[in-house]
Amino acid sequence: MEHLLSYIVFIPLVGAALVLLTPKAYEHLYRVLAISSTGLTLLLILFAVTSFNGALVPEISGEGNLQMMEKASWFSLKLGSLGALSVDYFLGVDGLNISMVLLAGIVLFIGAIACWNIKEKKKAYFSLYLLLCTSVLGCFVALDFFLFYLFFEFMLLPMYFLIGIWGGPRREYAAIKFFLYTLAGSILILIVMIGLYNSVYDPIKTAEMAGLSMAEYAISDIQSMVLEGQIDKTEVVKSFNMLHMADSANYIPGSLLDKSGLGTLFGQPIRWIAFLAILIGFAIKLPAFPFHTWLPDAHVEAPTPLSVVLAGILLKVGGYGLIRTAYAMFPDAAFHYAWLIGFIGMFSIIYGAMNALAQKDLKKLIAFSSVSHMGFVLLGLAAMTSEGVSGAIYQMFSHGLISSMLFLIAGVIYDRTHDRMIENYGGLAHQLPKYTVFVGIAFFASLGLPGFSGFIAELFVFLGAFKSASVIGAIPAWMAVVSTLGLVLAAGYYLWTFQKMFLGKFWVKEKKWVPALKDLTIHEYLMLVPLVILIIAFGVYPSLLLDLINSGVESFIDHLTASI
Amino acid sequence: MVGAAMQMADGLKEQLQSLTEGVAFLWPEITLVVGLLLVLLFDLIFQNKKEVGIAAISISVLSFLLVAQCLSFVPNLEAKDLFVGLITVSSGANLFKIGFTLTALFALIMAAQSKKYAQQYFSSSEWLVSLFGLLLGAFLMTASSNLLMIYVSIEVVSISSYLLTGLGKGLKKSEAALKYLLYGAAASAVMLYGMSWLYGLTGSLDINTDTFIVGMNAAQPFTLNIAIFMVLAGVLFKLGAFPLHIWSPDVYESAPMPTVTVFSIVPKLAAVFVLFRLISSTETTDFNWQQWLGILAIGGMTIGNFSALWQRNAKRMLAYSSIAHAAFMLSGVLLFNRAGIEVTVFYAFIYLIMNLAAFYLIQVFENATGSVNFDSFRGLGKTMPYTAILLLVVMISLTGLPPVAGFNAKLFLFSAVYEGYVSTGDQIILWVFIFGLLNTVVSLFYYIRIPYLLFFKTGDQIITKQEGFRWHMAWGTFLVLPLFLLFFRSDWFVDLLNSINFVF
Repeated sequence: MEHLLSYIVFIPLVGAALVLLTPKAYEHLYRVLAISSTGLTLLLILFAVTSFNGALVPEISGEGNLQMMEKASWFSLKLGSLGALSVDYFLGVDGLNISMVLLAGIVLFIGAIACWNIKEKKKAYFSLYLLLCTSVLGCFVALDFFLFYLFFEFMLLPMYFLIGIWGGPRREYAAIKFFLYTLAGSILILIVMIGLYNSVYDPIKTAEMAGLSMAEYAISDIQSMVLEGQIDKTEVVKSFNMLHMADSANYIPGSLLDKSGLGTLFGQPIRWIAFLAILIGFAIKLPAFPFHTWLPDAHVEAPTPLSVVLAGILLKVGGYGLIRTAYAMFPDAAFHYAWLIGFIGMFSIIYGAMNALAQKDLKKLIAFSSVSHMGFVLLGLAAMTSEGVSGAIYQMFSHGLISSMLFLIAGVIYDRTHDRMIENYGGLAHQLPKYTVFVGIAFFASLGLPGFSGFIAELFVFLGAFKSASVIGAIPAWMAVVSTLGLVLAAGYYLWTFQKMFLGKFWVKEKKWVPALKDLTIHEYLMLVPLVILIIAFGVYPSLLLDLINSGVESFIDHLTASI
Repeated sequence: MVGAAMQMADGLKEQLQSLTEGVAFLWPEITLVVGLLLVLLFDLIFQNKKEVGIAAISISVLSFLLVAQCLSFVPNLEAKDLFVGLITVSSGANLFKIGFTLTALFALIMAAQSKKYAQQYFSSSEWLVSLFGLLLGAFLMTASSNLLMIYVSIEVVSISSYLLTGLGKGLKKSEAALKYLLYGAAASAVMLYGMSWLYGLTGSLDINTDTFIVGMNAAQPFTLNIAIFMVLAGVLFKLGAFPLHIWSPDVYESAPMPTVTVFSIVPKLAAVFVLFRLISSTETTDFNWQQWLGILAIGGMTIGNFSALWQRNAKRMLAYSSIAHAAFMLSGVLLFNRAGIEVTVFYAFIYLIMNLAAFYLIQVFENATGSVNFDSFRGLGKTMPYTAILLLVVMISLTGLPPVAGFNAKLFLFSAVYEGYVSTGDQIILWVFIFGLLNTVVSLFYYIRIPYLLFFKTGDQIITKQEGFRWHMAWGTFLVLPLFLLFFRSDWFVDLLNSINFVF
């Protein structure tokens, strides 16, 4: 199907427009519109995933073997001595993002189902939700930095309003905190983006500008002509293309971020500083210690569907962004700072888990467990081995499913009693047996029990992290050793919580809650059952996902090692 | 003897010819003067029910001017010195004039829609005469290429501004007008004194002549620096830039909305143009423009943004925001290369549209609630949803987030600044780059406050929900649409800028 990715990205936007156009009298249709448009998107994504050829090895630093590519010139302009600047509408999938697109489809659809019970200001709610869907999906498939940044920034606004209007008691504080933190991060990314596009040229467009036919010259010919100065500087077309930015041959000789030109700033090579800026930008989104403090607030205040989307998919934008930009574009700096990233990852794992141990609010506990689990993503990336990176991607995918389920579970109990304090419940297993089963599955999946997707992910990350020292020497093995403590702590906080809330004699703090404590409704089954199936399926049959990402990851690792 | 007399006669003839030729280029200014006189005469001749007549005359004069300027706009006009070097006409100046006319025309529309003061604006000629005067001064500011001419035009703008601030009754107004007048008079005096130094140093008032430039280059650095600083004082005052910005919040707060709209756009952009002129003739001297303007830019954006955080009044907030935006424009000006000029002009025009829209929409809310204090915005997102969403878009654009043109303006500006750093290696430019982008985060905090109050809070005043179509929605959309359009197709405007022959 032509323009498949465009359909995937913009169908929710069309849904949002339909919601806006539907008069208030048909209010009940809004949620139907939301579910059907995200459902249609999910179907298209499934179609895209099935037609995705996992065997094709993408180039990472070029457009070779990119699948479902869509490219059209958006605008190009000349700015005095700045030279030409061209922005493309450029979408495509390869092994690095196909899994994220799939995850986004699943989580956004389930999130839309979770929105079923929204009571007030429905029109605004559903249009904002669908707007958010478009920007998240766009973020994962956009391969032009300008386009990527557009989608990346545009996630903030709907999220700000969704938390700020429909959230809990401290929603306004949480919303502005979320907004400011993420904006600060994206400004850092913007700084690097400006630096990158001023340093990178598009060889194909440059050839066009210089009047050379691509039929006669290969891209490498053009690159060497630019390097030797045979093509005039004014004819070099600067580019926002994220894939071109990954190829060090595409850097204008002598430009600030050029590898050979290594300018310095504060005594450090500028490339390294740029890497750190982009790392912090996405680490805020991920979130990693010490930039994680917005997350517990946002999660606690956000309504259930928003927590699902936030934990399930928005955090993954941070991880994906790191892979696609920071690592692919600055592999040398990534290698140099591998110890730092690995350390932050390790620290986040332990620190998040310890914080989770201390929480009294169920949602806060899950939020801190997210910080802990996203630490694995950093650790896996820092290892710079194919197991590590596969593990990182697998962890993002698996955490997307598991954390969605965890927040849905927290939402179930909150819907009934409007209280999430762990200490206020006891022995719920007697009153809510079916619910308890699902909670058990989610908790065990999250603490990394074999048979669930989280286990595979963490296993791969540890394998990669252990091997790293001998294969590539990015991070020392003790980081992996220390990180395994995180598993023990995770088992601790989950089992404790499970014991306190579900085992023992049935007891709740307020008597009036008892009649409200009914077991799962059909609507809740509809969300939880598919997630359980997926978590187990990806736990026992990992090649479902690995087949999609393997060749991409291999090529990514080759790209990294070749540029160190 | 006869030959010399003949020669003199020839010289005179030439000068006369250049005068008569020059008049033809001044048709926009002449139109303004004619309009001004018409309004004045109409006010004198008729006694009752003058509002409609005065409004009709002023709006039609400005509309005619706008259309005629657009139609006669030629992008690659050769710069032409007129009136023995007093005035230089150029395409860049013409572009700015179009922007000024548009702003003034919109201020008239706002005045007509103002609930509080609609009668006051048009019932007598004072407001319009002052407005036309301000516009005339701004036109001349963009055209002046002679120190005296620059001084006179800035004074025309200033005196009109004092009048506009002080019009009508009220203690606060008088206070603001007096403050403005005192500050302004001091700034002008310092500028004039500085100009006299420049004249002393060079022996020429015409800043485009070789004598001036040679004289400047030969001048003793210390004296030269002091002289240029003094001249800068007047320009920065008009620009409302740090550190001569202190007057603006008070003036903005007490002047009526249409007046503030004009204040926040016309004198500022005209001052940017004058700065370009000054830099182009003193570029080669010892005065370190990049360093000083860089410091002013960093100071302005930081002070402006952090002061704006504490405001509880929409007009004061926008006053501080305009101080910050002036600093952003300065960071484009200081590059003074082709890219720097283009991005500054791009930024200036996006700023023009954003400010028009912001003030217009805030006036719509003022009409509904009678106040521009933040508290009065509470919960209006429910009662006036469409207008509230428009205002949200404008605030997002002022912050500089996609998908609105404010983002492109910032992106292009900072790209040029970055490139300026790369090509010169000047540390101050790097700091401008870093401070500018970090300030964007700060600015979000106050720009988002109005949408926050509109949508997150519930108000105590009871305002009936506005259903259906209102005219202000159409005007608001008309102003906000270009912001989207110029985000998605910023190349349209940049292509136009590319074709313009910027000569100063």
